[in-house]
Amino acid sequence: MTQTEIWTEKYRPTKFENVVGQHEIIKRIKSLVQAMNIPHFMFAGPAGTGKSTLALIIVKELFGEHWKENYIELNASDERGIDVIRQKVKDFARTKALKNVPFKVIFLDEADALTREAQQALRRTMENYTNTCRFILSCNYSTKLIEPIQSRCVMFRFKLLEKKDISEVMKKISEKENLKLTPDAFDAIYEASEGDCRRAINLIQATAAISMDINSDMISMISASAKPAGIKVVLDYALAGDFINARDKLLDVMLRESVSGSDVIKAIQKEIWTLQIEPEIKVRLTEKTGETEFRMIEGSDEFVQLQALLASFVLAGQGKAI
Amino acid sequence: MHHASYAEKYRPAAYADIIGQETAVEEVKRFLKEFPKRKGLILHGPAGTGKTSLALAAAKESNYEILELNASDLRNRAKLEQIVKPAAEQKSLFKKGKILLMDEVDGVTGTDIGGVPELVRILGTTKYPMIMTCNDVWQSKLSPLRSKCKMVEMKALPLSTIITILRDVAQKENLDKEISFFSQLAIKSQGDLRAALNDLQSHFHEDSVVDVTEKRDVEQSIFNILRKLFKERGDFLGLFDTTKLSLDEIFLWIEENIPREYRNEALARAYYALGNADVFRGRIYKDQSWRFLIYQNIFQSAGISYAKKVPVQNFTKYEAPKRILKIWLNNQKTMQKKTIAKKYARMVHCSMKRTMRDFDLLRPVFKKESVQKQLKFSPEEIEFLAK
Repeated sequence: MTQTEIWTEKYRPTKFENVVGQHEIIKRIKSLVQAMNIPHFMFAGPAGTGKSTLALIIVKELFGEHWKENYIELNASDERGIDVIRQKVKDFARTKALKNVPFKVIFLDEADALTREAQQALRRTMENYTNTCRFILSCNYSTKLIEPIQSRCVMFRFKLLEKKDISEVMKKISEKENLKLTPDAFDAIYEASEGDCRRAINLIQATAAISMDINSDMISMISASAKPAGIKVVLDYALAGDFINARDKLLDVMLRESVSGSDVIKAIQKEIWTLQIEPEIKVRLTEKTGETEFRMIEGSDEFVQLQALLASFVLAGQGKAI
Repeated sequence: MHHASYAEKYRPAAYADIIGQETAVEEVKRFLKEFPKRKGLILHGPAGTGKTSLALAAAKESNYEILELNASDLRNRAKLEQIVKPAAEQKSLFKKGKILLMDEVDGVTGTDIGGVPELVRILGTTKYPMIMTCNDVWQSKLSPLRSKCKMVEMKALPLSTIITILRDVAQKENLDKEISFFSQLAIKSQGDLRAALNDLQSHFHEDSVVDVTEKRDVEQSIFNILRKLFKERGDFLGLFDTTKLSLDEIFLWIEENIPREYRNEALARAYYALGNADVFRGRIYKDQSWRFLIYQNIFQSAGISYAKKVPVQNFTKYEAPKRILKIWLNNQKTMQKKTIAKKYARMVHCSMKRTMRDFDLLRPVFKKESVQKQLKFSPEEIEFLAK
């Protein structure tokens, strides 16, 4: 097998024993896998906590060398329509497993991005092909999946990785890649990763592309350069009452950084607490921000909801009631 | 060769020319490869998404003969028995194979007595693949066909795809227009490429003076609407009937101009109302609950008008919506970014969207020669990264 150059792949664990964190989940899944029969699984939890990794380990343990023929992985956030379910999923699910394996496995990543219509189709598919196929669904929020799907799965809730978990992975990588990390670099990586192991590994590889000796300043520099910059500028314009400029800058940031509305909301929510405004107003703005996030899920045009939020910042900037 | 319409003249001749319908193209290829596993295929979707084009391109690419019957032909039982049945059972004269194309099968109606059952019978005996097209595959009269056929959906084309094609055609026709012109045609087409191309053509043949007047008419009507909403206070429920623009287009005009008119509390209230309109629009899209349309309508008319406490009389200069255009221009610029993200995402089990978000973090990694080799980046992609 050729060695991959991308560290998130190179250092992806291939055995249950090597996965960091999620010990309870692994214990339970392991015993199900050893019995050679698994139910449908739902893995709920934040990004970079081991959902895809575990799915891969499960099929490798179940099917050994034949795992590739009996496994597909689809990402619902890239292909979220009903077509994916009707065509790819159904076609794969309805044919029998190959090479003496009892069933196939479909891993549907970010399943919460599926449209409702697609979820309905998925529900039927899960029922109809239960003899030939098992599903592993991953999602950030299980509540975005319709009830009948949730009830067909055994649910596991993944937690954000702790500092010791991330540090363990970083230590292993730095040994294999001959990197020298200062102790505070570990802190900085964990801070920037926010418990997301994929981000942590990407961060260390990006930094290693510049230097083999890594300290916390370098980590902060690299992670800052990759953050959706400019949200602060947007809010400053809004607070100063210049709505049109705030709006233009917001669109620029979103397009330039390819960030979605919910990423912007997250950034705004954090930024509020660093602004020079009355604490009572910060609380009100946070409430508005949360409300906006909710409305974005309901509506069809995120940017309109964000503009409504910016209008609240204009009021806040003048000390007016929001 | 002279063609009556752009839609005909620029009809794609090969699979590669069919833009924005990659899944459908793959499905048709597979259907033909696997024939006779399934004997019929139904291409369904809104008008102008390339259903007929795809069927014709399939025939060309496979070097098959094509037998086409469309809604303009009588398709009752006798006719089908007389024409299609022999064709379905006899060998093609000159070429290796053929495709039977039944265009617009949802048009098989009334006078075409026994048409659908006959098609089902032919499907049973045909030696050649049969492709059918229709807009609405779920109507009950087509149910006997549905169970016998593979079904492939063709979606309304995205705005940016339509703009790209319009620009391309305009260039070939030496038609020099601003990008905003194409984006307006594209918005108006609502994903129907044929309609967009027809509009483009009508603008080409028109005197440029007429072109300008029509544009001025539309702008005049939308400016009147905006003036009423923003300056006066009223319910204005029937106001949008006075323009050719759709509710969604008006939405964009309002969105663009709220901050040019309102300040402070009125600004916040107006955006809140527009946000409400959007929430209801979201529900319409998600569940097809068209009864919510009235709420969208009220929030984006009365909701906007009553955002202020008193009428105003000053003059405000309104502007055309710019956002869609900006998004499109940006898409053009970041094409390589997307293809890079796609290659990477496939390799590392994560979504393209997520990769796009982390792109700047990954950039130093993508710049490594070994990574570029492993992910098989194209010269254009490598050049994009070097910038």
